[in-house]
Amino acid sequence: MSAPLLSVTGAVKRFGGVQALRGVDFDLKAGEIHALLGENGAGKSTLMNLLSGVYTPDEGEIRIDGKPVTFNNPREAQAAGIATIFQELDLVPSLDVAANLFLGRELIRPGGVLDVPAMRREAKRRLEAIELAIDPARLVADLSIGQRQVVAIVKALSYASRVLIMDEPTAALTVGEVERLFEIMRKLAASGVGIIYISHRLEEVPEIADRVTVMRDGRVAGITEPHAPQAELVRLLVGRSLDELYPARAKSAGKTLLSLKDASFRLARESAGWQPPSGISLEVRQGEIVGLAGIMGAGRTELLSALYGTGLAGRWQGEVAVDGKPVRLDSINAARKAGIAFVTDDRRGSGLMLRMAVGLNLVMSVIRRISPAGLMSPRRQAEAVTRSFGQFDIRPKNPDIAVGALSGGNQQKVVLAKEILGNPRLLLLDEPTRGVDVGAKGEIYARLRALAAQGLGILVASSEMPELIGLCDRIVVLRQGRNVAEFNGGVDEHTVLAAANGREA
Amino acid sequence: MSDQRIEGTANSVPSGTAAPRRRVDPLAIVVRFQSLIGLVLVAIGGVIFSPRRHGEILFLNPDNIANIVRAVSETGIIAIGMTFVIITAGIDLSVGAVLGLSAVVTATMMISGGFGLIPTILAVLVMGIVFGVVQGTISTRFRLEPFIVTLAGLQAARGLALIVSGNQYINISYGDGPGLAPPVFAVLGERLFDNTVPVATIVFIIFAAIATLVLNTTRFGRYVYAVGGNERAARISGVPVSMVKISVYAITGFASALAGIVHAGQFNFGSANDGMGYELTAIAAVVIGGTSLFGGAGSMVGTVAGTIMLGALANILQLNNITPATQLLATAAIIVLAAVLQSLVRRREGLGR
Repeated sequence: MSAPLLSVTGAVKRFGGVQALRGVDFDLKAGEIHALLGENGAGKSTLMNLLSGVYTPDEGEIRIDGKPVTFNNPREAQAAGIATIFQELDLVPSLDVAANLFLGRELIRPGGVLDVPAMRREAKRRLEAIELAIDPARLVADLSIGQRQVVAIVKALSYASRVLIMDEPTAALTVGEVERLFEIMRKLAASGVGIIYISHRLEEVPEIADRVTVMRDGRVAGITEPHAPQAELVRLLVGRSLDELYPARAKSAGKTLLSLKDASFRLARESAGWQPPSGISLEVRQGEIVGLAGIMGAGRTELLSALYGTGLAGRWQGEVAVDGKPVRLDSINAARKAGIAFVTDDRRGSGLMLRMAVGLNLVMSVIRRISPAGLMSPRRQAEAVTRSFGQFDIRPKNPDIAVGALSGGNQQKVVLAKEILGNPRLLLLDEPTRGVDVGAKGEIYARLRALAAQGLGILVASSEMPELIGLCDRIVVLRQGRNVAEFNGGVDEHTVLAAANGREA
Repeated sequence: MSDQRIEGTANSVPSGTAAPRRRVDPLAIVVRFQSLIGLVLVAIGGVIFSPRRHGEILFLNPDNIANIVRAVSETGIIAIGMTFVIITAGIDLSVGAVLGLSAVVTATMMISGGFGLIPTILAVLVMGIVFGVVQGTISTRFRLEPFIVTLAGLQAARGLALIVSGNQYINISYGDGPGLAPPVFAVLGERLFDNTVPVATIVFIIFAAIATLVLNTTRFGRYVYAVGGNERAARISGVPVSMVKISVYAITGFASALAGIVHAGQFNFGSANDGMGYELTAIAAVVIGGTSLFGGAGSMVGTVAGTIMLGALANILQLNNITPATQLLATAAIIVLAAVLQSLVRRREGLGR
């Protein structure tokens, strides 16, 4: 048997007192798509950084085609044919596609002038090679996230790559874009490129991977078949079997909290790509978790932000009632007065003060309550923080470190805990587990269910169908800003998808 | 207890909550207290390199120390206001010009206008606040960068000062009667307590103490950090973001006016050119004090220490007859050092770049 394209043996990496990798063996064959799974902190990123030359291993060896190599910097890894596509794509949004593809290696005419036509021609050829029709003269800023992802891949491949490392490439993509990306990955693999594919989305693994390596605590927890049952993957990931990722549903719901009847949000000014609620009827009752399903652009996020007053300027029409009384939800203040809290899908951008301490973030929505007469009460603040830490298992258990230094899952717990502190009666959640590992997901679901049991009503929008189906009591399907179908939790995925796409099941 | 903890929020990550466990990064400690450490180092350097006369260390001479703290009091007052603005991730370039305008108006009101001391001071302070409110309102209402709005404010304040003063020095003479200022106003240029503590410094210290309390113990102070930490998140949490932003510019306007009054009292005149370049000295003091231009982090104690440190450094260089050119270079080096240290800590905390 010939040597694998890429292999790592006994890799050890320490950061100060922390051992991030404790002897990892890993290999990648040419033409293989190898999924690398692991919770946050399991060592995936460290391993990836060793392979892409960001770090050098303290012990162990990296081989390419059986020959030992050392990378002192990312350039050397690139020269050896290893290209990495990081989650934050290294594209310059204000430059066009061709300029991005040739960034740092521009084609120059005699006299030092950029040869723009030649670069655009070559860019077009490369994009067409993977059957992508993007005009190379378009600004990257004008592309969808999915298109940018592909441009980043083309850019990486133009370094004549043999190994492509992709870090959560599907995190921000729509279902259709994921499909296209997978097609491109398969094509690349067929041409002999080895792909290491890092993801949190277990359900994607059987669809795309040839082999799966699961990491835990800086070690390889197991190498398995992509078609291994999900329960097995989860067991490898978290080191124990999650009896059930999703908690049991509510037996009964209380009185109606939120009721929309033929409600529309009339925008002050039309905006392309923002689908306002138009003719929605739905209810959320006490103790109930209601899901919002729908394809990208169906208006899920828009409904939540219009209810909370953070969307575009506009006015509700039709019947919007909280507790049976009509309310005018036209501002954040109005929503908060009505007992509504909101957790955005963008915790880093609009959920957290990343550089500020965890404790300070937690009390952000209750500052008024803990500052009688305008003076902050350290005692009340400490009580609030203690309560949050008691409710959500936020790690590390230290309210004084910057929230930006926490893992995605723990950051998400902080955002949730922050809103829960305000004792809302209705909680609006947008993508509550985006970029969150499986273990933290389970905790968050359990917590949400427990809060619902105490009478909280929850309206949750998600693009992860299994999450909606597993977590929610009812699922309302949106299309073009209106509710088109409703199912009970536990319904099968295809039925919901069919309704979301406007087809018969 | 907890008050003390909040007080200890000298830098980087504002804290103030009960800590079950604390991991200490020595570099973070250095940065947290960088301006205090810098101040101590400059003081030690001052003692070592100070010229001596009859065995006396001139740097430590009470008159010299009084000179240092007097010289920094005006920029110090402004830097305190600037700290609020910079914690919200804003900037106020108009402060030096507003100082000039305030000094001119103070002198003009008392000398040409015949106003009494108290009405003059109140009017000038209100003017400073209004100036800030206008800048803050324009910036929030039209979503303009504070840099641009306050750059325009700088020009406007200088222009107004030129109009009011007719491009003349307005000299302040003391006495009773028309065209004379009340003699008590001259106290701003004097020293109290056996001729040791300059009155200007006392104004600076009192203002610093009040500002520290406001920033660290009030709801408003917390809002200031929140707006700078993440404006969108603050808004979603129900923080009145626009009100907070307008308020911090009102504070810098107030501080500049206060500094302008002190300036007029110390030098017995008002001129449209007063306070030229003070905005940059104040920003330097704030940054050396550990407040981040990205917003969301910073401390008042750091600003005060940074201000005094810059003054002490200039003083020791002067005592040794080192040219102003070298002083500028030394200040430049310190600003860069302070910024690099902060950046290193941010990277260690995993907050990138």
